Amino acid sequence: MLNKRAQISEIMTWIVATLIIISILIIFLYASTILAQKTKIVQIKNLKLDSGKGTDLLEIKNLIAYESASNEDKQIIENWKEKNNEVS
Amino acid sequence: MIKMYKKAGSKIISVYWFAMILLVAGGIFGMVYLFYSHPYDVRELEAEALSNSIANCLSNQGEINKAILDSEGFNESFKNNFLEECHLNLNSEDIFGGIPQYYLEIHFFNSNNLEKSLFNFSEGNLNLISSCEIQKEKEYQREAVCLEKEFFSLDKFNEELYLIKILTIVRKTEKNVK
Repeated sequence: MLNKRAQISEIMTWIVATLIIISILIIFLYASTILAQKTKIVQIKNLKLDSGKGTDLLEIKNLIAYESASNEDKQIIENWKEKNNEVS
Repeated sequence: MIKMYKKAGSKIISVYWFAMILLVAGGIFGMVYLFYSHPYDVRELEAEALSNSIANCLSNQGEINKAILDSEGFNESFKNNFLEECHLNLNSEDIFGGIPQYYLEIHFFNSNNLEKSLFNFSEGNLNLISSCEIQKEKEYQREAVCLEKEFFSLDKFNEELYLIKILTIVRKTEKNVK
């Protein structure tokens, strides 16, 4: 009788251990799916060069236009930039 | 007799361990498979590359492309041959069943009135534009990616400043989202 109880308790230990292993595996499988969904989106804001700053071609184009513009046009570009900064 | 039971017990335990090793190995395989089977979503980069090449075609060294403007104003033939003029090819792979996966829209505004477009043209699949409205409220991965960029350019001949807005939309959901 005592022997049977000991056997049952030992089996229970293994069953619980198995359930814990399976549940941990399921959690990790789920986590890897979530991680794959979130980290595999390549966004421009996350791309940085070695200098630490991303280069925006259109920003450079704006700068060139600003440099060659008349004073009146320069003011327009400045106002537009200020407005854009406020929005963002 | 007791020795026999012990032998049987240790056999069961070793089978159990073997099963556990298989289970854990299968789990690790599953994790790696799930992670690497998800494709990288590079549509935003593709839209950025496309808008950069359009910007390079429309304006160079801060000056608007001479083919866009003629003596009477904006050149209609540039509008009609925009893809050829800018060396763009909007064809996509066969897996999309011949449905265009891109949409481009370009607007020119005079610096005196940045609200009213003076000249505009578009190319590609117009149906994709609805994705941009949806994405404004919440980001949905299965919808097309929209990118709006704007920059100034000068018409040195007429001494005018123009704001150019470029809207680029890339769908290609099947290749970028699982």
